[in-house]
Order: sequence, then structure tokens, then C-alpha cells
Amino acid sequence: MNRPLFTARTTHGVRIAILGCVLTVGAAAFTVFEYYRSPYWNRVGLAPDQPVLFSHRHHAGELRIDCRFCHSTVESSARAGLPSTQTCLVCHSQLFRDAPLLQPVIRSAEENVPLSWSRVNTLPDHVHFDHSIHVAKGVACASCHGEVSDMALTAKGHALTMRECLDCHRDPEPRRVAHAQVFSRRTTSATVSCAILEPVHARPLTNCSTCHH
Amino acid sequence: MSAPPLLHPSIPPLRSDEFPAGAAQWPPDLSRRDFVQLMSASLALAGLTGCGRPTLDKIVPSVAAPEKSPSANARWYATAVPSEGYARGVLVKTVDGRPIKLEGNPDHPESVGATDAITQAAILSLYDPDRSPAPRRRGETSSWHRFETEWNEMRGALATTRSAGFAVLTEPTTSPTLRREIHALLDAYPEARWYQHTALGRYDNAGLQPDYDFAAADVILAIGGDCFHQHPAALRYARAFASRRRVEHGSVNLNRFYAIEPTLTLTGALADVRLALAPHRLARVLNQLADSFDGAPNTAGLSVDERSFVERFARELAGGRPAAACVVGAECDAEIHAWAEDFNARFAGNVVQASKAVRSDDDPRCRGSLAEFIEDVNSGTVTTLAILGANPIYTSAADQDLPGALRRIPMVVHFGEHVDETASMAQWHLPAAHFLESWGDLRSYGGLATIQQPLLEPLHDSRSALQFLNWLRTGIWSSSYDLVRDTWRSASGVATASDFEARWHAALDRGVVDEPLPPRPENRAAGSDPLPRLDVADDTGTITVLLRADSNVGDGRWANNAWLQELPRPFTTIVWDNAALIDRTQAEAMGLTNGDIVACEVGGISVEAPIWILPGQAPGCVTFPLGYGRTAAGQVGNGCGFNAYRLRSAASPWMRTGVTVRKTGKKHSLVSTQEHFTMDGRDLARTVQPHEITQRADRPKPATDLFPAWPRDRYAWGMSIDLGTCTGCSACIVACQAENNIPVVGRDQVARGREMHWLRVDRYFGGEGTALRVVHQPVPCMHCENAPCEAVCPVAATVHSSEGLNDMVYNRCVGTRYCSNNCPYKVRRFNFFDYRAPQGSPVYLQSNPDVTIRERGVMEKCTYCVQRINAGRVAAEKENRRIRDGEIRTACQQACPVEAIVFGDLNDPTSRVFARQREGISYALLGELNTRPRTQYLAKVVAGSAPNPAPEPA
Repeated sequence: MNRPLFTARTTHGVRIAILGCVLTVGAAAFTVFEYYRSPYWNRVGLAPDQPVLFSHRHHAGELRIDCRFCHSTVESSARAGLPSTQTCLVCHSQLFRDAPLLQPVIRSAEENVPLSWSRVNTLPDHVHFDHSIHVAKGVACASCHGEVSDMALTAKGHALTMRECLDCHRDPEPRRVAHAQVFSRRTTSATVSCAILEPVHARPLTNCSTCHH
Repeated sequence: MSAPPLLHPSIPPLRSDEFPAGAAQWPPDLSRRDFVQLMSASLALAGLTGCGRPTLDKIVPSVAAPEKSPSANARWYATAVPSEGYARGVLVKTVDGRPIKLEGNPDHPESVGATDAITQAAILSLYDPDRSPAPRRRGETSSWHRFETEWNEMRGALATTRSAGFAVLTEPTTSPTLRREIHALLDAYPEARWYQHTALGRYDNAGLQPDYDFAAADVILAIGGDCFHQHPAALRYARAFASRRRVEHGSVNLNRFYAIEPTLTLTGALADVRLALAPHRLARVLNQLADSFDGAPNTAGLSVDERSFVERFARELAGGRPAAACVVGAECDAEIHAWAEDFNARFAGNVVQASKAVRSDDDPRCRGSLAEFIEDVNSGTVTTLAILGANPIYTSAADQDLPGALRRIPMVVHFGEHVDETASMAQWHLPAAHFLESWGDLRSYGGLATIQQPLLEPLHDSRSALQFLNWLRTGIWSSSYDLVRDTWRSASGVATASDFEARWHAALDRGVVDEPLPPRPENRAAGSDPLPRLDVADDTGTITVLLRADSNVGDGRWANNAWLQELPRPFTTIVWDNAALIDRTQAEAMGLTNGDIVACEVGGISVEAPIWILPGQAPGCVTFPLGYGRTAAGQVGNGCGFNAYRLRSAASPWMRTGVTVRKTGKKHSLVSTQEHFTMDGRDLARTVQPHEITQRADRPKPATDLFPAWPRDRYAWGMSIDLGTCTGCSACIVACQAENNIPVVGRDQVARGREMHWLRVDRYFGGEGTALRVVHQPVPCMHCENAPCEAVCPVAATVHSSEGLNDMVYNRCVGTRYCSNNCPYKVRRFNFFDYRAPQGSPVYLQSNPDVTIRERGVMEKCTYCVQRINAGRVAAEKENRRIRDGEIRTACQQACPVEAIVFGDLNDPTSRVFARQREGISYALLGELNTRPRTQYLAKVVAGSAPNPAPEPA
């Protein structure tokens, strides 16, 4: 009678080793993947250095200035738009002209050199995002940008990963708000107003070419 | 229909293998082991490419927001593209202050909302890196200031001699302001002389230009020329012609088109009956036609083809009185034009209307053309010369010896966009502004004026021609804006300043100046006077060389435009080269095959050119396309092709007889795309007879279909392409290229079958002699409902959208190219290399920001312009409505002069595309594969052998 080439003990050990390898590789992959998607890697909550210490908390939160006053093209264009220096001076030609914090703005206007802000929210180049349609369909600013009106220094509110886009595109209804609440400073509980029409034509929200073309 | 007629190439099959040579072979210097190593390394590293951390870049808003914020969506401005001096009305799309695309202006009757290939490509010339950046003095970079100083020193001398010896050489123009400035200059400098030079033809006959209403013409006779492709009114003419060829709801009011031409043109290829005729036979055939009209048919001395043509055309005119129009090419002699004028007086009625010539060819203030200029130089009466825009050193005839003449002039100033051949002969070269950088005005062939408005500040230190002429006269740099406004302020019908402002803004807004056109002279009374008989020349038995403008680079001015260089020529599909076109019989007699170099000698000048065999050449005629062999075009155009201008003589610019053509034994590898992506041997390009229009051309579908039906409750995008109206002009290809950021890959890559055009135009030849039949078939992605490409992609990079689009996800693609292998239509294109322009190249400014620029290793293909669909959807969704039919137009559809391409929602029974796909002659390409393509074709209706039934007398 032939004896088996390997003992049961050896076979058992090898099996455990193989399983261990698979689990280790899997765990490593999972860790890398999760790290890659983590808020930390995506710089959520990190406020980059800016030429002017601008506070959204003060302007949007305390003074209750509408988002659209500065981000004026958000309803008409793909891009929300950044305010020109002159927009700042609408108020600040009168208010706090001499405040040291404001000097870069004053200097920009005097020397006709634009302010160079650090970008906070960004999407990869192969993503074509359109602010206007999201605003029109009741996606609140805060849904993607977080509680900006609480931010003394502006930081990313959400990681803006594709998963976040898809979570909403797969099932937009619970996340939509009435148009009056789109620009409100706080995310309200998800109450869909009856005024919003059913998105009858918005079936292809998860098509690749909706965002990538 | 039993068996739809299959087009057989009249030439033996050239294709032996689907793939270009070497494409399927293992590279010799790569072992299998190396390959596996490289591939594993690539695979291991491939995943890492997506792992970039989001970068921190800068955003810079303006200090003071412009009138309209730059971050708003794209904006459109109306202006005009100069085409041989005539206006082509366009709308320019600008994004963030940079123009990125030209579209036809629907309000402009000469553009009819469409464009041709050259107009589409004109935007690239704005960003040409080879444009002249600064003034040059004797080849050294200099400055405007130095030029001004030098000229101002001469200014006093010019004034004392009443400017004797001062000459200006321009191209003929339709611009009222430019003409006003030239006239003012001649007034200020009484002895100064003005010459005009163009390398191409004139479109008027002794000051009168005929204008045709092809929609009303029942029978058309074209003698030479290319009136539906290379003509200032080609877009309008082609649109009108197509209206008599388009099948709608199963019926078509078919016209009959006869063409006589020595070499195949896009116009001639549309003809029902086409006679390939050498120029020296033309008089004989026209005389016989005239005999037939007078009831004395006489076909003695005619060949079989000629006789059949004469008999059929005479029969066409015999029954009833159809409106018949005769259109003659610019290259034909004056007596042919006179013959046509008499023909039209007798047969055309109001189909042909003559009007006063719009262009300045016959301006009474102009002293003459290049011939008079050279005469004056040789008599020593020209001492100072300003050349504006033209490139006469390159385009003049060899026997004129213009370089010798220019050397005799002490001061030559060249004002142009490029440091071209003429600039290198001049003491001074001054950079001219592009037409998208300066104000101006132009008239179209029909006489309508358009104000050209600048879309951006000049990219270089350049000035406009108007400014330059004005400065020569006054010594002050005025703005072109003021000069153009001055012209129109004094135009007729302007009453007050506010009236002028209103008119000015209306003209800018619409792209057409609202002014009364000069009255047209009355047509001659229709009579039955016999047509004049022409002098019949004897056949010398030698070879005739025909010199024709290249269909892509024209007279050579577009030679540095890479889009036009890489655009396959309509019949030969040659890219980046020109070739002498020759008949198969003659080539065989001389033992020539494609690419063999022949030496062509006439008048002591010899030019070597590679040949290309093309059906439809008249016996004994070899066609040499002009516009190539440039030496100072720029890095794109230099060294491509041979210079056929050297064969030109001033007396006979369009053809040379008594030419000897000799085989040299050398060979040149011409790059042609005709064998790329072939699908031949199948019933692809279908033609039907008029009585078959209502019969169902499509093949029966398989009895059982295991694939689920497509949902009906959403948009279902589809396209219909009409082969019956397609002229093969290739505007769609360039429009697609401009819209979708499609790279140019260069000659070597095209030779390997790696061109990137998402849309190609296949062409099929069939029949012989007068029945030569050409079908052009544009082939974009079919967006199959059962797409074979999707099933084989291992990474789901190509997937179906819920609206039936075959989406291509560049970021998922790993470049296996399985999809391309499995695509029966061969419409997928692969980025074998990084074809993007170098960093910092101005070419990037043209890019469409709505379309991703693809990188190396990624598959791409036609998307049905999904960015336009998305933009249309956003606009519609904001208003909570469905997208309207016609609201979304693909780039190819928008450019098409004949509306051969229609795009829309197949689930909307009122849409145009739905109606077209319901026509009996609509068929799916390779429909038997059950791919269920969303793109379908309308078969081409070809007239049978019998003439149309005579129309009922009214």
C-alpha cells in the first residue's frame, strides 16, 4: 500500500498557509483601498493656506450673505464661479478698508493683480460636473460642500469621491430639497417638496457618459 | 426588393489583407520572454496610475468681472471666414474667451448653417504655432518701430514723386473696407499702382457672375468646375441640389444631373451621367449637343461614350421644356462660358440669374494681374512694393520668373500671417492678424455683407490689413474697428447716428448686414437662337496635364493645417501628399502602379510626381493637384508632396498639352487610408432605382431574437445618414475632429492604419464610362443595441447607456483592443502613442473643454457627441421638459451642407430621424449580424437609363 506523499499534518499546514496568504493580501488590498478613499487622503477638513483669511462662517453664517452673491454663476453655468476682487469691494470699499486682513484684497484692486486662491474642492479632469443642473434639481450646496457656513477657514466638506456621486445618482430622491432650501446654510432633513417635478427624464443618472465624456 | 444592386469596384481589388503590412507580425527584436515580462510589469503597475492624491492647484478670479462672466457657458459670435476672398458666414463658439469651433451661420444664406472642411479647419490656423510672431527685416527678427522708421524715411520721397514706383499687390477681395482703403491709398498716391493676384479661378464672366437656383433646375449640365464643393457658393448650391435628391415619405422630385469633366470631382461624382472628356474634345461634344438641340443630331466623330452622352442629354431636353441649367467651371475658356450663357438663355428661364461680380477682379482702379506687374517691373517702373496676403512666389507660374522680378525691386514689404516663400524674398516681413483677431468685412458670392468681428486679442504682435493700408497712407495706426465702422456709417440707407448704431449691432448679431442688394440685370429673353459653334481643336495625341486646386489645401494656403493634411482626399484617400492622378488604362500602358514616380516634362520644366490610379479620368489626362511641395509653409506643410505650380504657364494656368510623361523607376510610398478598416465583400453601400423607393430595402430580421427589446419610455438616440445626398465633402470628419479633440497622428502613423478620425467616409466605385457611379458612405460608430464590442471588454470600459449610447469610459480602458477586433464596422480608434500636442503648444487653446483629451493606451470612438446630448439635457431639465427634436445636433450633422446626417430620438414618432428610418430605403449596415445599429443609412437613389418623364405643361 502506498503511503501518501505528504502527511495530513503537512497538508493541513499548507492549507492554512495558503488561506493566510489570501487573507493577508485581501486585507492589505482592503486597507489600501479604504485608505485611498478615506477623508484623510482626500484632504477632507484640511484648510489650505489662502492669500486672504476669508471666513465663510462670518460672511455666510453670521452675516447670512447668500451663496449666490459671490458664486454668481452657480445657477446658469457649469461652474459656480469665484468672486472677482470688485465683488469683495462692493462692501469692503466702505467696511474695514484699513483692516490688515483685508490688505491683499485692496492691493489686488489697486494693482489690478488678481488674487490667487488655493483650490479647495476639485474633481478629476475626466469628470464633467455641472453646478447649474444640480442646483436646479434641488441638490443643496451643503450636500457636497458640507457645512461651509460653519467654517472659519474653508475646507473640503466631503471627499467628493465617485462613490459619493453615485450614492446620490442611484437614488436622488431622499437627498433632494425644495428649491428654497438649496442655498440655505444648513442641510435640512431630507424633505422633498411637492413642488419638485418627478425626474422623468433623469433615468440615465448612472450612465458612465452622464459625467465622463 | 429581391436583391439590391451591389456595387462592384470597376478596378480590381487592391486589398489583399485586412491589416496593413507588418501589423500582425511579431516584432523581431522582442522575444516572447521579454514580452511576458513587460506585460506582467505593466499589469502590476497599471493599477497605480489611478492613485494620485488630489492636487492643490490655484484658482484665479478676475479683478473686475467682465460684462458677462467668463465662467458662464460657451458663447457664440457671428463673423465670416474668407474663402478665396468671399465670405462664408459662421458662428464662432468661444469658451473662456478663446474661440474653439466654427459652425455655419443659419442666418447667412450663403452658409445655410453648414460649413465645408476648410472652414471647419480654419480655427486651427488661428493657433498655428508657425504663425509669424514679429516683423522680420531681411530674415532677422525686428520690430514694428524699426519698420515705421524706415518707411517714414521713404515717405517723403514718395510724396515728392507723387509716389511713382510704388505698387501694392493684393488678392482679389470682396471687402468693402479693404477696397475703400486701397482706393484711398491710390487717391493719396496718384502714381501708385494696384495689382491683384490669385492662383485660383474667377467666378465671374466679364464682370457678370451667374447664380443658380439648383432646387428649381430639372436638368443640370456641369462642364468642368466643382460647383458643389470648390465654389464660393458651394454650400448653398449643394443644399439646393440635395433638395432634389432627398427621399421624403417615399417620394423624391428627382432632377437629372449631367456632367462633363476631364477628372473626377465631387460634383461630377454626383452626376447621373458623367462624361470623362479631355479638354480638347469638349468643343466637339458641345457642337454636337448644339446640333441636337437644333433638331439636326449628328454624332459623327464621337466615341461611344460621347455619343451616348449627347443622345441622352438631347433626349432629356426634347420632351416638354424642363428648366435646364448649365454651369461652367472657372477653369474653362471664355467661349465655353459664352456657350453656357446662350444655353441658359435658351433653356434655363429663371434658374440662372446673372449679377454684378462681387469680387474686385475687375476693379477699374486695379492695373492688372501678375502678368502686368511683371511687365512693369521689367520696365523698371516699380521700386517699392507692398504684398498683402498673397503668396505669389509660390503660386506664380514658372514661366513668369517672379523671383527674378522681385529681386529687381529695391524695397519689397510682405504683409502676411506666415513667413512664407514670398516673405523670404522680401526686405521686410510684417505679421498679419488672423481673421478671428481683427475687425473686417466681407461679401458672400450672393453679395451679402458680413461684419467680421474679432474673437480675441491678437496672439502675436500683428496688425490687420486694413490698419496696414491705412498706415501706409496716413502714418497713423487707426483701429480696424473704426475703419470698418467708417465704411458702414457712410453706407446707403443710414440716416442718423443712432440708426447706425442699431444697424451695426443688428449686423453683428445676425452676421449679415441688412442692406438692399444691387438690382440684378434682367435675364435675356428666352429664345430658341441656335447655340454658337465652337472651334474644334485637333487631338494632338499627347498627354494633357490638368492643374487643379487640391480639395483640402486649396492653392496651398492651408498646407500648414494638420487637420486638412490628415483628412483623406475624397477619392484617392491620400493623406499628407498629393499625387498625379492617372487613368488605369494609361497607367497599365506605361507599366505604372500606385506610387511610381513619373517625370513630367513640358516647356523645359520637369516635375517628378508619384502617380495614383483613379477611375473617371479622361483618356490622356493626368491631373496634378496644386498646393503642395511648399518649402516655407511651416513644420506641418513643409516637404509634403510636389509643387505642381512649376508646370503652370501664365497663358495656360489650368492645363498643359504636349506633355511628356516618363516613368523614372523610382517609387514613393503614398499613404492612403482606402484599405484601412475595410468591410468589403458585403452589401454595404446600396443604391436603388427610383421605382424601388417605397420597397423595403432592409433584409428580413432573424426569426427569433433572444435579446430583449429596447425600452420605449426614454430617449433612444439614433442617426440616419442619407447616401443619396452625401457629396463626400468630408466636412463632417473635420467637424468631428474639432468638436472632439481628435489628435493628428502624422503620416507614418496613418501608414500603419492608426488614424484617429472617429468618422470616416468610405467611397465605392461602380460602373464604367458614363455610368461611373460613386457612393460616399460616412461611417461613424453605429451604437449597436447589441454591441459586439461590449461583450468582449474585460474591464467594462465600453458599456451601454440606458438611452442606447455605446459609452466609452476612457478611465477604465486598459487597451486590450478586443473591442476593436470585435467591431464589425471598424470604427474604434486606439491611442497607440501619446498623440497630444507638446506642453505649452497654442494648439491646446482650441480644445473643447467638454470633451476629455485621451491619453496613450486608450480606445476611443464616436460618442454621438454625448457632450452635446448632456448639454441639451441640462437645458431641457432646467425647464422640466423633454428635449425637442433638432435641439441636439451632432458636430457632423451641424457641418453637413446637404443635411445628409440627421440625429435624434427614435422613440419620438415626430422626430426627423424616426421618419427617415421608416423610409423604405433605410437599411442597417451589416444588419444581418443582428447588431441592431442605431445608425442607419438611406440607400442612394440613382436614376435609371430612361430620362425623367416630361413634366406636365402648366
